[in-house]
Amino acid sequence: MDSAITDNNQGYQVDRTEKPSLNHSLMPPCQVACPLHMEIREYIDLVAQGRTMEALQVIRSGNPFPSICAYVCTHPCEDACRRSQIDKPIAIRASKRFALEFGGDRMIQAEAETTQQERVAIVGSGPAGMACAHYLRKLGYPVAIFEAHSELGGMLRVGIPQYRLPREVLDTEVQRLTQMGVEIMTNTRVVSLDLLFDMGYKAIFVTIGAHQSLRMGIEGEQSTGVIDGATFLREVNLGLKPSLGEKVAVVGGGNVAIDAARTALRLGADRVNVLYRRSRAEMPADHTEVEQALEEGVEIMFLVTPTRIERRNGRLSVTCIRMELGDADDSGRRQPIPVENSEFDEEFDTLIAAIGQVPQTPGDFRVGIGRGSTIEVDPVTLTTNRPGVFAGGDAVTGPATVVHALAAGKLAASRIDDYLRHRYPLTREETRGNLTGDLLPETVDMIRKVGRLEPPVLSPEARAVDFKPVELVYDWETATNEARRCLRCGVGAEILFQDKCATCLTCLRVCHYHVPYLDASGTIQIPVDQCQACGICVAECPAKAITLRKPYDRRHITEELDHIFKSAAESKLETLIIGFCCQYGLFGTGTLASLWRGAKAGVWVVPVLCMAKVEGDHLLRAFEMGAEGVFIAGCGEQCARENTEFWVRQRVEKVRKTLAQIGLEPERLQAFVPGAVDEDPAGELDKFVEKVGGFYLASLVTQEVKS
Amino acid sequence: MIVAEQKPLEEIRRMITPYNRVLILGCGTCMTVCDAGGEREVSFLHNALRLAQVKSGTGNHTFSEYTLKRQCDTEFLDLLAGRTYDLDAILSLGCGIGVQTIAERFPGLPALPGVNTSFMGVTKESGVWDERCAACGDCRLEETAGICPITRCTKGILNGPCAGTKNGKCEANQDMDCAWILIYKRLEQLQQLEKMRRYYPLRNFGTIPRPKRIVSKAVTAIGVNDG
Repeated sequence: MDSAITDNNQGYQVDRTEKPSLNHSLMPPCQVACPLHMEIREYIDLVAQGRTMEALQVIRSGNPFPSICAYVCTHPCEDACRRSQIDKPIAIRASKRFALEFGGDRMIQAEAETTQQERVAIVGSGPAGMACAHYLRKLGYPVAIFEAHSELGGMLRVGIPQYRLPREVLDTEVQRLTQMGVEIMTNTRVVSLDLLFDMGYKAIFVTIGAHQSLRMGIEGEQSTGVIDGATFLREVNLGLKPSLGEKVAVVGGGNVAIDAARTALRLGADRVNVLYRRSRAEMPADHTEVEQALEEGVEIMFLVTPTRIERRNGRLSVTCIRMELGDADDSGRRQPIPVENSEFDEEFDTLIAAIGQVPQTPGDFRVGIGRGSTIEVDPVTLTTNRPGVFAGGDAVTGPATVVHALAAGKLAASRIDDYLRHRYPLTREETRGNLTGDLLPETVDMIRKVGRLEPPVLSPEARAVDFKPVELVYDWETATNEARRCLRCGVGAEILFQDKCATCLTCLRVCHYHVPYLDASGTIQIPVDQCQACGICVAECPAKAITLRKPYDRRHITEELDHIFKSAAESKLETLIIGFCCQYGLFGTGTLASLWRGAKAGVWVVPVLCMAKVEGDHLLRAFEMGAEGVFIAGCGEQCARENTEFWVRQRVEKVRKTLAQIGLEPERLQAFVPGAVDEDPAGELDKFVEKVGGFYLASLVTQEVKS
Repeated sequence: MIVAEQKPLEEIRRMITPYNRVLILGCGTCMTVCDAGGEREVSFLHNALRLAQVKSGTGNHTFSEYTLKRQCDTEFLDLLAGRTYDLDAILSLGCGIGVQTIAERFPGLPALPGVNTSFMGVTKESGVWDERCAACGDCRLEETAGICPITRCTKGILNGPCAGTKNGKCEANQDMDCAWILIYKRLEQLQQLEKMRRYYPLRNFGTIPRPKRIVSKAVTAIGVNDG
């Protein structure tokens, strides 16, 4: 069993009342897409409530170096996000960064205990190596990292420019590795693995990255003034300032090419041209990065490739040829074909070739090398042809992303553990199913469109002059509003108690999204891939047969009520007013957030995740416990849901009728749905409190008279 | 489906006054569908009764709640057999049939009706129910194009419409469709308007014997379950 790692992943339970056995939620597409399978839906939901510290806890439990991912992750999760069917995906990476900054990530300390004897050597300190070291330490192994450069980080250090990943962030994570007791040997190039075994290491993880740039294979490539992308970035990142001249060409269309172009601009080049042989659509570089590069003044020449370089009078004369797109090749991209007689010459001072990299594995490692100079490994065990030697990261996959490398490092740690403990490598058992499938057009039509909120960035003028981080962090309001766009895929309603279901069709009738349907055999089905988890059918079901797949709300509200009752009894307040307040809106992070925990005399807040989850029973219970007044407050117009107000008003009316029959003033129960901006929710609430106070006094007088 | 309506809280409270330990018993079939006595309503009533007791300061009731799949078969009621020893009464949120079945099954225990059984009908929309059948025992829907004049005509006349129809509405209620106009329109659609020309002799509802019994099994043991 990969105990520690599995525990680490599943140990998170923010909600203590939640019983895992009742959690029938499915893995949402974002989590499936994430190589680390982070609990994205959970932390986005916590961000939406402004609970950043808990969000940070969830993030930390699934990712060894989230602060790095928060800056540079290529976010495959966002590409998988089903919100893109409605408008645009959730800004997951930016939300993560918000949670880290505002949840106190800087304060996090790492620690680990040594419980095992076998020492493990890690060759290379890129994200894969660092992740592997992190998890091996968690498992209790003594770990040493060998790094050829002067500092840890691999491509994070020498490849990614500082404006994308500030070095303090990387340094902090490296610092935590040291805290955990990882032995770090920098400026140490490993040339032979035998030596490491001789030194007493029982297992070796080879993660040397892919630092060797591919050659363009054209005439004049060796001229002075031609440099490859990886070398260029490495030199800049290690503190050198290469002189580039005024006009710089960058060949390639990947992230390295864009990084090189933007770096060249920051080094003072007047004009930077990217030459890419295909068109914008085929460009593998991150879309946002390309946008930002264009804003900063980088020019991209599409469908152009250099064919010859000649050094003349201290400058480079580059002959280029225009291309057109032919049929799709194996990679699915359309193949560029040179257009005849379309050659033209262009003068540059420097040409940076960034057309791809391959790993360069020392021959003395004696590991099997496969296609593209990558190290061959067993995909399950990550073992190479040599016993005790494991490999991962770019060295195995070719140039890939940080998060893939982290995942490889994490897997390697568990496989090395298996190897050292003489266990058959277990593939992790995932008890939850994956949520697959697209939203149906009729569901999409009913979902409120809420545009994506991007984090602020420095202006192109301000950022192109130095290496300050380009992207800034969200403020509270923007972050919570952005996170509230999440569709909560996979936690939707299910008919948990089929035997109770009377097939009354209430769910089918009340669902705003037209999700429940009657199947051919006459049974109600609530397809999980369509359900928006608004919870209205859960509360409306007359048989109480429906629950959400993460059914903690009902119990949570009851427990919270009990808690308030106890606290209020201790504080001996004269009037007790209980408010069921949506945690996504004003009462979470907005103007009334201070109400949380009785900041206003006599007013106690039961936090709910959407007021649609408050049922008549809860309201009656609040009165029974001694509340003089009860109110429900929603998040108003910012709400990502439809129709909740209607159902809340239905329930309020029903309870008011009952109150009247009991002899209580119906006005003691109120629903606030803050809508228009000019309305003052605090004022409305004050009025309500005053009114309830009046009822209370009146009832005291009546009692006096009676007695 | 049988449609019912929960009794006003005051009436329920008055009914249970003599009994301390009351089981609120829901029914998982019709009463669930018509929002009168499913598990949710049982729980709501339970809370409301407790609140009423707290606020009024009178009464010393302890309540329990349970919902059966159906109250109209004693086999389901058998599930309660072990639970009745500490009860003083059962407040049934089943229809009148349920209440009587409880009374039969638990002879020593008062069975109280928590709902007014109203009619047999359909769900018009969420939260709205309409009467459709009077269980008259002599169905003529074939002749009236599938629209029942007994339940849907205010007067229940068999040879309509009467002179009180106006713009397709009933004189008794401006919002209510005249059943006979509906019948006419539908017969027209079915090209069976000649059925409007026929005269239907009056029916003597008084001759229908009560209580009714239907026996569908071919051989019956005489003398068993008589009455």
